[in-house]
Amino acid sequence: MLVMRRRAGESLLLGETIEIQVLEICGTRVKLGIVAPDSVVIQRMEIKITRDENITAARSVRQQDISSILAKVTPQPAASAAVKELTDANA
Amino acid sequence: MPRVQTKCFDELEYSPDAVFEFPAGIPGFEAEHAFVFLELPGTHPLMFMQSLSRRDVCFILLPVLAADRDYELDLSEEDLAALRFPAGSQPQIGKDILCAVTVSAADDQRPHPTVNLFAPIVVNLKQKIGVQAVQTQHSAQHPLRSEGREEEAVAC
Repeated sequence: MLVMRRRAGESLLLGETIEIQVLEICGTRVKLGIVAPDSVVIQRMEIKITRDENITAARSVRQQDISSILAKVTPQPAASAAVKELTDANA
Repeated sequence: MPRVQTKCFDELEYSPDAVFEFPAGIPGFEAEHAFVFLELPGTHPLMFMQSLSRRDVCFILLPVLAADRDYELDLSEEDLAALRFPAGSQPQIGKDILCAVTVSAADDQRPHPTVNLFAPIVVNLKQKIGVQAVQTQHSAQHPLRSEGREEEAVAC
């Protein structure tokens, strides 16, 4: 990984067309400005991680996966009052 | 009682009390704004978070404290506001909020099921509103193993 020190007000270039500006540093937070062509997708890393994991998790919901997941967790008494347990008639 | 088409269990009745609104959706599923949280006989402690508008969008959830009994949730000011809690408040798991993690089954890339401690699903139990609250200090692919002892109630 390339490590570069920058002060507020300074910037750096990625290639010829993408500029990252350090606008403000306040405690543990840095405010960045990004100048890039419309075709460049810019997203927070944590949102990309969450999206990728959500898509995998949604794909996981299959009958055979449920039983293998269930085998990994110890039975515990009901915990949530907010979620109504469905009757056996619905199963 | 209303009914919903579910991904795995055909059509089920559900309680309107178990429906939570996600105004922004969740990453990857931004268009899904309403999920019903289902508990089914024989699948405890798992829950199912089923979209009300798309049958094929459903998540397996586990109460976060069942996945990691020492888990500490640190809600950002943005997430507190989205959940309609006052700034600076510290809602309690099991009392004010339900906090649960999505489960991903084993596949070619992961030898064992994992839980996403990085981005738990958090809902305000009174306001019936939810967010996926990023917790960068935790792993998105934490190996699933039970943390709760038998006979021990785990708040979720």
